[in-house]
Amino acid sequence: MRHVAVGDVIPELVIPSVSAEKMKTMAALLADPNTIHWDAEDCRRLGLGDRPVNQGPNNMGYVVNMLMDWAGGPASVRRLKVRFLGNVFAGDRLVASGEVTNVRMGDDAIVVECDVLLRRDGGEPVLRGKAEVILPA
Amino acid sequence: MTGRRLPGGFFDLEHYRNWLTSDVLCAPRPSDDLAHPMFCYYAAMGGMGLSIAEMFALANSSASEGPMFGECDMEVFEPLRVGVRYEVRGEITDVRRKQGASIGVFDLITFRLEVMTPDGAVAGACTNSFVFPRGAGA
Repeated sequence: MRHVAVGDVIPELVIPSVSAEKMKTMAALLADPNTIHWDAEDCRRLGLGDRPVNQGPNNMGYVVNMLMDWAGGPASVRRLKVRFLGNVFAGDRLVASGEVTNVRMGDDAIVVECDVLLRRDGGEPVLRGKAEVILPA
Repeated sequence: MTGRRLPGGFFDLEHYRNWLTSDVLCAPRPSDDLAHPMFCYYAAMGGMGLSIAEMFALANSSASEGPMFGECDMEVFEPLRVGVRYEVRGEITDVRRKQGASIGVFDLITFRLEVMTPDGAVAGACTNSFVFPRGAGA
């Protein structure tokens, strides 16, 4: 049985550079009409700077990846509750991190609660929340 | 507006969606039929019966007015799988007018979506809150 305790630190996950091209793919998949995800000219016009803004759920996805890497795959992630604190721009370097806050026995698995954070290089948080993952008992 | 049911509909979790979404999210390439957990959100939004543009319009807003994703609570009761057609149902659960330091008056609109398997079990739920700036004249 895997040993997990309150205070355990989840290994960080780094996104070296957020891709503007991937934002375009996601905009097409979601039929998302918001131009800030692909049109740098529009970002300038709206006063958002000169780089496209990443979709918020993409930022959640990086945190989910960190949880999957640590807990053991897609079936391990059971809950993610986040607040979006700031925009992420194309080219940003991001670091996802987390810490265990509670461990309990579920019906047939260990339920682990965590605080999670996504921050831009330099430390500014862009997303903060709580997650729940399960580990084999 | 609170309590208003959304049209609902279906979301086909196809292989190409999972592959491309995993690629966008910088996740490992899928190796089986388990979908990336973020599909709890993508399936919910994709099957709610409104496009994102229509969802903005329902809130009397549009993409050009700068709506923002405020909060998301994603609960996965059973992993979503590629090849499954999920049914989605949802409703608006809360509408609040607020004042922000940087954006001024805004409406915070919350809606909950449930993603159901073909046999009617709730596989996941998403509670999303969007921020709709209303400008100085609101």
